[in-house]
Amino acid sequence: MVMTTTHAETLSAAGRPAPASLGALARWITAADHVRIGLSLTLGAALWFVVASAVGVVLGLERLDSSAALVDAGALTQLFSLHRFALVFGVAAPLMLGLSLWTLPAQLHASNISLPRLAAFGWWAWLAGSATVLVSYLFNGGPGGGAQQYVELYLLGLGIVFVGLIALAVVVATTVLTRRNGQRLASIPLGAFSALVGAIGIALTLPVAIGAIVYVWVDFVNARVAFGGAGFINTWLGWTTREPQTLIYVVPTLGILADAAARTARITSARQPLRGVLLVGVGIAATVIMSSVTQQAHVFALGDTPFATLQSFVPFALFNLLPLLAPLVVIMLSLLALKAGKPSVSGALVASLFGVGMVFTGLVGSAAMHMDALGLVGTVFGEAALVYVVYGSVLAALGGVALHIGSLTGRPLPDVPVILLALTGFLATVLASLPHYVAGFMDQPANSATGYSDAGVVGVANAAVALGHALMLLVVVAFVGLVAQSRRGTPSADRYQTQVST
Amino acid sequence: MTAPALTAGPARRTSTVFVASAFVAGAVAMLMGGMLAIWLDFRANAPTRVAEDGGRLIKDWLKKDVAIPEVLSNTMMFTFVVACLMAQWAVYAARRGDKSHATLALAITLFTGLALLNAQIALWVQMGIALRTDAYETMFCAITGTMFAIIASAMAYSFVAMFRVLAGRVNDVDVLAGHALYWYAVSGTFAAMWFVVYVQK
Repeated sequence: MVMTTTHAETLSAAGRPAPASLGALARWITAADHVRIGLSLTLGAALWFVVASAVGVVLGLERLDSSAALVDAGALTQLFSLHRFALVFGVAAPLMLGLSLWTLPAQLHASNISLPRLAAFGWWAWLAGSATVLVSYLFNGGPGGGAQQYVELYLLGLGIVFVGLIALAVVVATTVLTRRNGQRLASIPLGAFSALVGAIGIALTLPVAIGAIVYVWVDFVNARVAFGGAGFINTWLGWTTREPQTLIYVVPTLGILADAAARTARITSARQPLRGVLLVGVGIAATVIMSSVTQQAHVFALGDTPFATLQSFVPFALFNLLPLLAPLVVIMLSLLALKAGKPSVSGALVASLFGVGMVFTGLVGSAAMHMDALGLVGTVFGEAALVYVVYGSVLAALGGVALHIGSLTGRPLPDVPVILLALTGFLATVLASLPHYVAGFMDQPANSATGYSDAGVVGVANAAVALGHALMLLVVVAFVGLVAQSRRGTPSADRYQTQVST
Repeated sequence: MTAPALTAGPARRTSTVFVASAFVAGAVAMLMGGMLAIWLDFRANAPTRVAEDGGRLIKDWLKKDVAIPEVLSNTMMFTFVVACLMAQWAVYAARRGDKSHATLALAITLFTGLALLNAQIALWVQMGIALRTDAYETMFCAITGTMFAIIASAMAYSFVAMFRVLAGRVNDVDVLAGHALYWYAVSGTFAAMWFVVYVQK
């Protein structure tokens, strides 16, 4: 007797086999595994990166001439706001969470993540919410928008994005805590530990923003007597896209660097020098959670008395200087790990080292901006700090992909192209940020394309920023191409694993 | 001679849902904490003016003609205690494999949730506030509306937990413990809101 087995999902209603591409699409849409969800988030972040860098280029070109308008003046406020949203909630947060979901089971020796359906919900919620936000911007919504329905749509979309990110963060944190296969928390790879710290930070800070959205929305659709209407949305929600809060979203970069250093030095995670200090260093980033409680910037100003100065300095130091220790400790101890082992140059290390270095530079800039004596509040200095942090996280993510892709797919990336891309990405990040640090000292105003002299250094700075954004876009596109090309090759053993075991 | 095969050890207790519930509970607490922080900020900075009799300064916050029905708000507070007790009873019963008592406990938890929603609606109706006049009314509706949604989410959790127990998964203590934890967190959150919004006003 011959038995024939047919799979129901491959047959259409008429009994004919359904197209393979349709089946693949259906599987992708209904996917609840860490690989597909993680990759979907990463690719979604890559698409948002195209938006963010394109807007960055447009804004840079718009600022070349402070008297001429490339973009309609009414749309400029929304364009600046879109740039921030795209960088933080389009790129940094989903990229880090996606990378964490993709790599966590391999790091923890688990078969899958915890609560995979919640992860799928988080991914779809983020996608739907971010698309809603983009649509609202396109139709004169967003902060400062003139179309009431689309401002409401913006608030709704932002709320959905936050709900999605919180769901993903809960999945990441729960996976690390419940799928360690007997490992102590202090023994898990730094990548997993930093993912846990970042996820807890997101799960505890973004709900505060949702509360603010509820207030602003109720006020906006009714009396508009308390929260000031569309023009004041960022007064209540701006802290979510400013430093130090952005450090919470990019904490996983610290783990990527620490793990890349250990692998490059050919030492196991447990043999990292001063591992306890490293864990504490990553944990320090969690102090940023307090920023959501106060929801305001803490500026250091010299007072009339020493006590008044101290009163100003303590919160400034707590919110702006203490978080600096996190990347600083990780960078120093990662370099120490290289000294302790037998290192060779690797793409993962170079990219993640540049990435965390850029994050650190952004945080230093943010701390400087909060010093009243420097007079940088309200200048482009703050925009540059955000670009440093986000582009730094993108560079570190490139390092993270290079670090883990060999173990996950059996097709490691060649080091030389990754190193070249990391160097170019470093140059692009500096071009997109550093000139605005300089322009900040020359009082070029933030979120504006007028009110400054575009001659001399400031003009050159704005041109360099536009160039930097464009260059960074090319780096990301080239890296995606490199990954796609590597998938054509024959699977081979991960060279890092081979080196550690020998 | 072959070594005797080892028997399987006890199944490893997973606490995935409990841990996830703890994170969601923390998120809910932060949501309400943030809203209460903004509430306190607005109340502290509400504009002051001299009263019509000229004798004292008054704050433009809660209008004189708006009265909060304290019987209702206090009843809600006590109802939360009942909900928590029932949720914990469900855990107790599940640990003993007692399906009927676990189901009963979850059903009562669900019913107390319904009572809480009913009380909240009654409170809004009795207060009779509109949303179109001042900051207090806007913020009151926003914060109590959010609490309403949080209670509804806890009820949804109770419903799912009850469905699972009815379907035979009575020994899944992890879910029921997570459910009880969530109700504790919602109760704590309500207690904070009750004190700030209904008692201190």
